[in-house]
Amino acid sequence: MDEMQFTPSSGPTLGVELELQLVKSHDYDLARDAGELLARLEKVKLPGAVKPEITESMIELNSAVHTRYAALAAELDAMRDAVVREAGMLNLQVCGGGAHPFHSWTERRVFPTERFKHVLERYGYLAKQFTVFGQHIHVGCASGDDAVYLVHMMTRYVPHFIALSAASPFYQGEDTSFQSSRLTAVNAFPLAGHMPFVKDWAEFLEYFDKMRAFGVVESMKDFYWDIRPKPEFGTIEIRVCDTPLTVERAAQLAAYAQALARWLLDERPRPAKRAVYLVNAFNRFEAARFGLRGQLIDPYEERKKPLADDILEALAGVMPQASALEGAQALAALAADVRRGYSDADWLRERYAANKSLAHTVRESAARWAGDKPRASG
Amino acid sequence: MSLGFLPQLPPAFGQPALFGALLLAGLLGGELVRRLLGLPRITGYVLAGVLLGPQVSGLLAPGALGEARVLIDLSLGLIVFELGHRLDAQWLRRNRWLFVAAIAESAFCFGAVLAALLAFGFQPLLAASAAAIGTATSPAVGLLVAHELRASGQVTERMLLFTAVNCVLAYVALTLLLPFLHLEHAMSWREAVLHPLYILGGSALVGSFASLSLLWLAGWVGKREDRQFILLVALIVLAVALARGLNLSVVVTLITLGMLVRNFDRRHALLPLRFGYGGQLFFVILFVLTGASLEFGALASPVGLAVAAFIVARFLGKGLAIVAFGRLSGVRPGSAGLLTLALLPMSGLAVVMVLDTQAMYPAFGGELAAVVLSAVAVLEILGPIATQFALKRAGEADPAAGSA
Repeated sequence: MDEMQFTPSSGPTLGVELELQLVKSHDYDLARDAGELLARLEKVKLPGAVKPEITESMIELNSAVHTRYAALAAELDAMRDAVVREAGMLNLQVCGGGAHPFHSWTERRVFPTERFKHVLERYGYLAKQFTVFGQHIHVGCASGDDAVYLVHMMTRYVPHFIALSAASPFYQGEDTSFQSSRLTAVNAFPLAGHMPFVKDWAEFLEYFDKMRAFGVVESMKDFYWDIRPKPEFGTIEIRVCDTPLTVERAAQLAAYAQALARWLLDERPRPAKRAVYLVNAFNRFEAARFGLRGQLIDPYEERKKPLADDILEALAGVMPQASALEGAQALAALAADVRRGYSDADWLRERYAANKSLAHTVRESAARWAGDKPRASG
Repeated sequence: MSLGFLPQLPPAFGQPALFGALLLAGLLGGELVRRLLGLPRITGYVLAGVLLGPQVSGLLAPGALGEARVLIDLSLGLIVFELGHRLDAQWLRRNRWLFVAAIAESAFCFGAVLAALLAFGFQPLLAASAAAIGTATSPAVGLLVAHELRASGQVTERMLLFTAVNCVLAYVALTLLLPFLHLEHAMSWREAVLHPLYILGGSALVGSFASLSLLWLAGWVGKREDRQFILLVALIVLAVALARGLNLSVVVTLITLGMLVRNFDRRHALLPLRFGYGGQLFFVILFVLTGASLEFGALASPVGLAVAAFIVARFLGKGLAIVAFGRLSGVRPGSAGLLTLALLPMSGLAVVMVLDTQAMYPAFGGELAAVVLSAVAVLEILGPIATQFALKRAGEADPAAGSA
């Protein structure tokens, strides 16, 4: 039961996990050197942590817990620099994005740890197809009840996070027509989806115990929900974001989640509403398929509107909270991109149109991740 | 009534028949060796060549081998081009210790082999030439084993990088020894100085010119894999022909071409290199022909001991450098031995170097050539097995790819 004991957080603290792609310098296909890179990084003093992920082509950056956006951004920046430098010593490059544009999933190998072997055994080819790269944002909550409320309320904003982070238009060599094709790969898992509409932490525990008794799950890790409570950290974890192409964007997304959480928890503007989950699948699809150009059904106002408008309204709405948390600048940057209709997915398509090669698109994407300015022309 | 349409006997098949027969023999040998003995296919290609060659059946007469030199040069050209293309200057710039390790790998190996040959009483200049030849790792074995295992990782990458560096250095060293050999043969000092300059400078120039043309044309045809493949093959074949026609070095020309297009593609015109099945044809041809030119005779003779010393010194030299500088360049402790093992093969390149040196300096013939060629013979059979073992042991082979 210890695992399900909710460890309270002091206010809407922030933490970020970023899953990153390791690519080879000579053909820009996924590399398999995560183990070597991690061994090198162990010897480097880093502010956060770097961990293995399911395949040998992936590493995960974990930030420390922060209260302010600027500190998180600075830390991610420092981690990015260290990882890029160490990868360079092994002739590897690192890049963001929700999926590798042209890798063939049959060639992926799963990291040889017990848990990952178990995942591979259980899910078969799904586990390998799941070579996708996401950003997870943790926001602290004072109690389990707050966490349950926040999950329900944040679900309305899930399309925002999908559209703002979307960076996986290409998958296995094809333009999927989606802004985030990664999300589709997540959907295939039996325990994907969302948390049930429970009213508080006690009811959630009841549900969890039942699922465990059925043998459906063993731990919270088995739920691949869009947003899930993480009792041992005292947070909720938003898991719908593609890893953006830059650390700056990753930090901005976290700042937005923090401001939203602060607003929702402090002001409790509205009660949790079951209808959120009725429109969730539609909204989620629109955001993954069309990104900022999608539609959103507002379950409270019960009407359809352009997703971009909804994002801009929400960003403006939580600006006071963002200012109080010293993250206004991050939200302003997000709003500016929404206004000009920019997303990382569009950037990737534009680069592909310019250089007509997915390998070179990965090259430019890796250069962007490393902090180079985007090239004007191919 | 005369049947004038019938061919005269025996019919003349010429080069195409040779080409086809070599491929078929290689294919059969490779598959048999893999299925019956579980050894790498490369070993089978070589054994097929040995069986066809003058040493065993004599089906491939020495004359035919001479004609096949075009095929060897073409195959070697394609292969060293790909190798040059893997020589990433940026990596060496970022990881200085790697650069040091690569240089040391060649230098230590050269020194160790030279010392061993001197101990056996060979004449210093000739011993140095043989040591230079011994420094090079077979580019064909490294590339083919890596391809067939779909290997990817640090041992694979470093094996290819070190191979590229030791091939270049071996060739440069061998060429720079030319003036001394020249002088020894009482040729004019002018010839002695100009000849190596001509070979190195000329090859570099042809390689540079071909790389500029390749990059320019690649930009013009655009990023289409099919067209760039044709373009690549066309320019590689032309560069080989030019190098041969001008009495330059095919190896230096093509490795220059590969390095330059890799490191000076500023506008990013080229797609990642993929020779696919087409490229494999040339690997098979090269290995069968190398097999046919191997000489085992010396192994039983008193020279046999020198051969063993050559091989052991070569291995120790490479290993010492990798152990000494590997850690600093980021090789994991357990990987140093595997990397050394992977660098063991000698092959077609060494045979070509011996033949070229011999052609210019008959004095290089006799015992020393026998030592080098015997070492090649041993390492041609054992090398691929060592490389395959090393890459698999390092965990860098794709389990789905089967064995080479």
